[in-house]
Amino acid sequence: MKKVNSLFIVDDDPITVFGIKKMLKPICDCDDIQIFENGKEAIDALKNRIELGDTIPEVIFLDINMPIMDGWDFLEEFILLDLQERVTINMITSSIDPLDYQKWNEFKVKCPHSLNYRNKPIFKIEISDLESIDLAS
Amino acid sequence: MKAVERIAQHYLLKQLPRATAFVGKDGMLVDASDSWLHIFNISPKAFFTTNIFDLFREVVENIDIQDFLKNSEASTIRHHEIGHTNKQWYESTFAPWFDEKENLVGTIIQTDDITALVEKELELERVNAILQAQSEVLKVGNWEYDIESEKLFWSEETKKIHHVPISYTPEVSEAIGFYKQGYYQNKISMLFHQVMTKGTPFSQKLIIVTATGEERWVQAAGKPILKDGKIIKVFGTFQDIHEKVMAETKTKENEQLLYTLINNIPLNIYVKNLDSKKILVNKAECEHMGKSSKELIGKSDFDLYDTEIAKISRDEDLEVIRTLKPILGKETISIKKNGETTNFLTSKIPLFNYDGNVNGLIGISMDITALKKKEDQLRNLINITSVQNKKLINFAHIVSHNLRSHSANFSMLLEFLINEKDETEKENIVKMLSQASDRLLETLDNLNEVVDINTNMDLEKKPLNLHESLTKVLQSLAALLDKNQVKIVNHVDKELCVSANSSYLNSIIINLITNAIKYRSPKRNPIITLNAQKHERQVVFSVSDNGLGIDMERYGGKIFGLYKTFHDNKDAKGLGLYIIRNQIEAMGGSITANSEVDKGTIFNVYFNEESQ
Repeated sequence: MKKVNSLFIVDDDPITVFGIKKMLKPICDCDDIQIFENGKEAIDALKNRIELGDTIPEVIFLDINMPIMDGWDFLEEFILLDLQERVTINMITSSIDPLDYQKWNEFKVKCPHSLNYRNKPIFKIEISDLESIDLAS
Repeated sequence: MKAVERIAQHYLLKQLPRATAFVGKDGMLVDASDSWLHIFNISPKAFFTTNIFDLFREVVENIDIQDFLKNSEASTIRHHEIGHTNKQWYESTFAPWFDEKENLVGTIIQTDDITALVEKELELERVNAILQAQSEVLKVGNWEYDIESEKLFWSEETKKIHHVPISYTPEVSEAIGFYKQGYYQNKISMLFHQVMTKGTPFSQKLIIVTATGEERWVQAAGKPILKDGKIIKVFGTFQDIHEKVMAETKTKENEQLLYTLINNIPLNIYVKNLDSKKILVNKAECEHMGKSSKELIGKSDFDLYDTEIAKISRDEDLEVIRTLKPILGKETISIKKNGETTNFLTSKIPLFNYDGNVNGLIGISMDITALKKKEDQLRNLINITSVQNKKLINFAHIVSHNLRSHSANFSMLLEFLINEKDETEKENIVKMLSQASDRLLETLDNLNEVVDINTNMDLEKKPLNLHESLTKVLQSLAALLDKNQVKIVNHVDKELCVSANSSYLNSIIINLITNAIKYRSPKRNPIITLNAQKHERQVVFSVSDNGLGIDMERYGGKIFGLYKTFHDNKDAKGLGLYIIRNQIEAMGGSITANSEVDKGTIFNVYFNEESQ
């Protein structure tokens, strides 16, 4: 069981959200799980937290295809935020578009956070998915 | 022998009109006429002391006068005047002088002025020399035929041209025999006969076969010489013109080759002078202009083409003439006075005269209108293909993504179900599975609709009254419009028709209007303005609203994408605009959007009026 202070799930598909929550239950101890239907809602909430000095989520589960603001647009804004903490972002998508994979590679380089990419379906979330692995060490 | 008495000039002798002198055997002057004394410049006082031998020794070289005088026969010598510097010529005749008993007592000298004669002789010699030289240089010989004696004379040059020796003496039959058999021999026979009988002069280009068997072109001419109105002789010239004829033939052949080439080459060729006036045009250029070469020569582009085009062309001409650099393979457009447009690949090359100065230009134009049209068609086809391709890839990704996301959910939920012990949770999972199944079916329906639109190749299009179609849709939406207090401003002309598929047109109108209502601004009552404008090849139908607007910078590229929604609106599925875009494109049209956040959005639908 891993203790996580705060965790965001950004996905417009209620089944996926249900699944993630279910898979987190046995491995994750977190009192602050927030669900967002699109990137806009999530980024607004994050900005709000920074403003108020609240806890910044340690882990974010991020979908790519969402209305209003998709996963990429979210990331674009997210990396501009002035954050001290290193956040673990798990991109979970059903997309097999090679363009998305390429984009992930590009973001991985410029993103100071831990950025993972997982194709659906997922059946299990490991504790390691909740930790930011410092590749440099 | 009685000595001649030396007395004063005998008075009778003195007056003799012809210069005459009497000389003794010893050479001493006995008597002379005044004229003789004058010629030899002897004063009457020196009369008796004058010795003829000495006198003539001064004027005649290499002849011993003493020997001369011993002669019993008369003889003559030519000499100049004595003591005078001018070049008078004289001829003195020495005749023996006898006394009554036929004894030789001396010599009688008679002297005549022959200057004129000598000069004539010299002139004749000079003229002959010139003639000879001229004849050799020009290869012009001559001939003469005496009718009475039937003798034919050939000059040296004439013989040379025939390749016969100088000693050769021709007969008429032989002379005619030198001409090439057939036409040439017949021709010269006829001409010779005519000049002899009728006095018709001739000058004719003919071929001879020389004594050495060589064929050569000659110019033979003849004219009669008359005496008392009767033809007595025929005189003529005979010239070797072989090289000239050959050169002319070569030039003509070259000219013919060039002419054939220029006229039959599938390019428009013209030559312009420094004023850009045409001085030569080929057949292709004439055909292009629909005018004869006579009508085109002397004309400038301003006479033939649209003023703007002519100006461009004149500037090009001036540039070539100024820089002496050719323009090669430039794509140009020519517009005739009647508006006919042709695409050309034009080259303009400076034309230099013999002295190396530019005196015009040669223009070569290839009509590439057909090529250009094909290129456009091809480009269009490539565009369509690439658009279709993009759409296909896009659609494939949409399909795979949507189906994958559902199947991934099924897999995940089933995995949960298998491992779930709690009955309530199991029920919950099954409920979710059934939801996922419903959504998969819905997705399949949506995708099917899109596939239908894109595969409907024989789409039935007919002219539809746009205003009527709008009215029908607005009636069906009356409740919705009412509920949201929508104000419709319809500026569409009641007569305007668009070429469209009726169910697609309805779908387009419904989607655009419901879209405008869906994204209305909560701050104001919605106003939807409908407009339509007819252009040459298309009708533009526009729907504008005063709603929320879309951030074009951010979402401009995604507006018509599938499952793309940009507002926090629970009704939004991101399907409507994607569907109508496909419907419009299936009808050969297009759709664009323009928007400003919190001001409103305008959608422009372009109906293509050309049958495709």
